[in-house]
Amino acid sequence: MNKLIEENLMAVLKREGLEPKAGDLEQFSEIIELYMENLKQLHSVNLGAEELGPVFRPEWKS
Amino acid sequence: MAVAEKPLYYLSIHEAQQLIKERKLSPVELTRAVLDRIQAVDGKLHAYINLMADSALAEARAAEAEIQKGNWRGPMHGIPIAVKDQLDVEGAPARIRQFTKGVGDATAVRRLREAGAVMMGKLHMSSLPDSELPIPRNPWNTEHITGGSSTGSGAAVAGGLCLGSLGEDTAGSIRNPSAFCGLAGLKATYGRVSRHGLAPLSWSLDHCGPMARVVEDLAHMLNAIAGHDPKDPTSSGTPVVDYTSELREDVKGMVVGVPRAYIDECAPRTAPIVLKRVDEAIDVLKQLGAKIEDVAVPTLHLATIANAVIYYNEFWAAHKSDAAAVLKTGAPQRRARIYLGLLTGSADYIQAQRIRSRCRAELAEVFQRVHCLALPNQAGPAPRVKDVGPIDTLFKHVVPEYHGPFNLTGVPTLSVPCGFSENNLPTALQLVGKPFDEVTVLRAGYTYQQQMKWYERRPAV
Repeated sequence: MNKLIEENLMAVLKREGLEPKAGDLEQFSEIIELYMENLKQLHSVNLGAEELGPVFRPEWKS
Repeated sequence: MAVAEKPLYYLSIHEAQQLIKERKLSPVELTRAVLDRIQAVDGKLHAYINLMADSALAEARAAEAEIQKGNWRGPMHGIPIAVKDQLDVEGAPARIRQFTKGVGDATAVRRLREAGAVMMGKLHMSSLPDSELPIPRNPWNTEHITGGSSTGSGAAVAGGLCLGSLGEDTAGSIRNPSAFCGLAGLKATYGRVSRHGLAPLSWSLDHCGPMARVVEDLAHMLNAIAGHDPKDPTSSGTPVVDYTSELREDVKGMVVGVPRAYIDECAPRTAPIVLKRVDEAIDVLKQLGAKIEDVAVPTLHLATIANAVIYYNEFWAAHKSDAAAVLKTGAPQRRARIYLGLLTGSADYIQAQRIRSRCRAELAEVFQRVHCLALPNQAGPAPRVKDVGPIDTLFKHVVPEYHGPFNLTGVPTLSVPCGFSENNLPTALQLVGKPFDEVTVLRAGYTYQQQMKWYERRPAV
């Protein structure tokens, strides 16, 4: 697995008090690397400043 | 008594309900026929993980007594059904939960019971913690998988081990096994069917829905399970129609959009036989009177990825309290989802939600001109068991394909069989509708089904 991705994953696992199962990082390295590439691709689209995701609506549901 | 030309376990719900209503078929006789079938072939198919034979027979006897008194509740009364493990059943909580409690009967299960259905038991699903459980086999060829994650539902319905099943779909888990096993499967609009009692994978993407052998059976099951549920905060109050009375053979004047550019983009990763069968099916709809129009949904290519990002992030959030145990004893797919969720940042999740909004807006614009979309429902026919690794199905979540975009946007989506591959494995057409317009996709699928009658072919298992 890419060293930077592995270090990042180990850091977040440690922050959460978790440990990977033995062999998992090797077993899942291909899908993890592909997923990290996908995350970059996700941000490649220019949505503009006003394109919203989740919207907070202040009114109470009646 | 023998009342049908085909084995009782291969009756459709629609056929069986008519016979039960007319008292030409007893629910006990039907349930016994299904139990005998399970006894005969589930050793090969491995669909059931919890067969509830005694309670099923008791429920069938109660249904029979009630019907004999003249109290026929409706089309699901006395019909043997089974459910994907992910749904809680009283006395049989979802094993996939592993570390959290079930709720008794899930709302969809309770509603089927209230409609008089006979609960046969719980069915296998992908990523169960019990690694010793055998993988369900495809009734069309037992060397091949059923697709997932509603693995057992695919095997059970196609193999005649129940007449219909409830599945769950977060990234294609109803439509994929329906396609691989030659079934009709419906992921209704998000909020149409309650998620209460469904072990969560991703709160905003999980859809509960029916799988059956013909489209009209989906309409019968949807009639029983659809509608608002105060126990599910995302359940919709949008009025429910009678899906069976709206069903008819008629696509004249219907405008069917084909996202051709997106299909072409996915074509290098799609088996040519699937593309061929889908094009043939679209031609049939055209011959039946539909107008076919190419449409563009520009962000579809990012929608699968956005779906995966939301899926894994919500999965991680849902399992934060038991993540240590999942990483120790959970199935590889569940462990992988934890790692991917951990690697997803808040900006990634928000970006995925923004793409979700954009994609919904694009679909809304397209649906001003068309009544439904038609596109493939699988990358290829069911692969061989020996060729599939424990996390291989996750790759379809991170490569643009045909399922995730419609979980992301929550629109109703039907899988309907559209023929067979060269080696006799089923292929399927996917029909996508406007929010809460299940009627249109069911009607288009039913019209196509009645023209082609692929359901008349049955697996040899």
